[in-house]
Amino acid sequence: MQQREEKQLEASVESLVTRVAHLKGSLQSFIYKLENEYERLTWPSVLDNFALVSGQLNTINKLLRNEKTPSYRSQVIIPLLLSPDRDEELAKLTEQRVPVFSHEIVPDHLRTKPDPEVEEQEKHLSAEAARIGPEVAQKQIQTLNKLCSNLLEKLNNPRDDRDSETSALRQNKPSFNPADTNALVAAVGFGKGLSKCRPPGPAAPGHPGQPMMSAGPTLHQVTVAGASGHQPGMGGQVNQQQPGQPGKMPSNIKTNIKSASASMHPYNR
Amino acid sequence: MEAPPVSVMPVTGGAINMMEYLLQGSVLDQSLESLLHRLRGLCDNMEPESFADHELVYLLKGQQGNPFLLRARRSLLHPPAPWHLRYLGQPEVGDKSRLALVRNCVDVSASHGLPEVLNEMGFRMDHEFVAKGQLFRKGGMKVVVSKLSRVLVPGNTENTEPLSLSYLVELSVLAPAGQDTVSEDMRSFAEQLKPLVHLEKIDPKRLM
Repeated sequence: MQQREEKQLEASVESLVTRVAHLKGSLQSFIYKLENEYERLTWPSVLDNFALVSGQLNTINKLLRNEKTPSYRSQVIIPLLLSPDRDEELAKLTEQRVPVFSHEIVPDHLRTKPDPEVEEQEKHLSAEAARIGPEVAQKQIQTLNKLCSNLLEKLNNPRDDRDSETSALRQNKPSFNPADTNALVAAVGFGKGLSKCRPPGPAAPGHPGQPMMSAGPTLHQVTVAGASGHQPGMGGQVNQQQPGQPGKMPSNIKTNIKSASASMHPYNR
Repeated sequence: MEAPPVSVMPVTGGAINMMEYLLQGSVLDQSLESLLHRLRGLCDNMEPESFADHELVYLLKGQQGNPFLLRARRSLLHPPAPWHLRYLGQPEVGDKSRLALVRNCVDVSASHGLPEVLNEMGFRMDHEFVAKGQLFRKGGMKVVVSKLSRVLVPGNTENTEPLSLSYLVELSVLAPAGQDTVSEDMRSFAEQLKPLVHLEKIDPKRLM
């Protein structure tokens, strides 16, 4: 009977040790990344690391809560031998953190009570608790309970609000309108929906009073106009009307501009 | 688009083969704050740059009958800043394997005499608009969230009217031709903005 319990204890300690080693490993690599690769580290990978650590902590918690795990609380560790000499085996086991098992460090490592300062504080607190009467204590308990329930209510309610808000946003209110997308893309792409206008300031030299662009061809129309722009008769006629064009321009460009505006301009008809 | 006339080819050396990779979408005014909030979280840790630009689109009808388009932009917030002249090529949208719209892109800065120069060259202004918004960056990626307004009185940028109840959202990267991996990064970034905004490869010709 006792042997079985011992075996169980041993097995559970072993599995606990491996889990803790895993946790330690992932913490180490995370810290290494934080210290050495912080420039390249992306937020999603930081979150991944946190998720890993939290998952490992969870499995350890589950293991400790497991029915098969014997209660470690009832196990007692007694130091049998203290020695001021360096113990290589111990140093290896603890990764050089604890090289000697001496009188100096044993009280720290095998301590089951709180630190002396904490003990002192606790004593102070219990003395104070004993000093105030039961009535005052009751009142304080009530105040604290009230505060806590208020706080809980506040924490719970806005969550409902928020949930309903986001779900409403998701279901009822679209955040974008495909028709608007098309309109905006068409506007930046080729000026659809934007008023066609003549350039600001005085009209271009050589075209007094002629509203060159006010009803000029849009990008869309030009493709059509360009095709008809090669009709020789129209082009020639237009050329004569344009004495002010810069001489360097290829003549057929002029032709196209004119033929386009001439054919599309409502007032010229 | 056909090669522009030689006279208007910019002399910029190696920068000529840059391609713009583009995804577009929009967000309704009331959801703008949520989008900006999310962009602040996703993008590089910097304050987004606010801008207000006046864009004038100039047209030159080329020999082949295809119009040649140049976009001139000036900052309304910093009037002394140089103008910005941009040529955008015909978008390559047909290739299904490409996740983003790809087009040739040439950027140059210009002096304030740009409109006169363009006018003298035979360009004519086709349309103009005002874009106001914010710019975010994430590495080489640029996210521009902007409100487009039409200019009611030509040339007067004070008197404008919003084009729609939405903000235009554009995700773009400038990269040398052939670097199609950038579009994968863009796609995965766009994925993170869903369902707030759907950034898509939109062929403007489809909307004509």
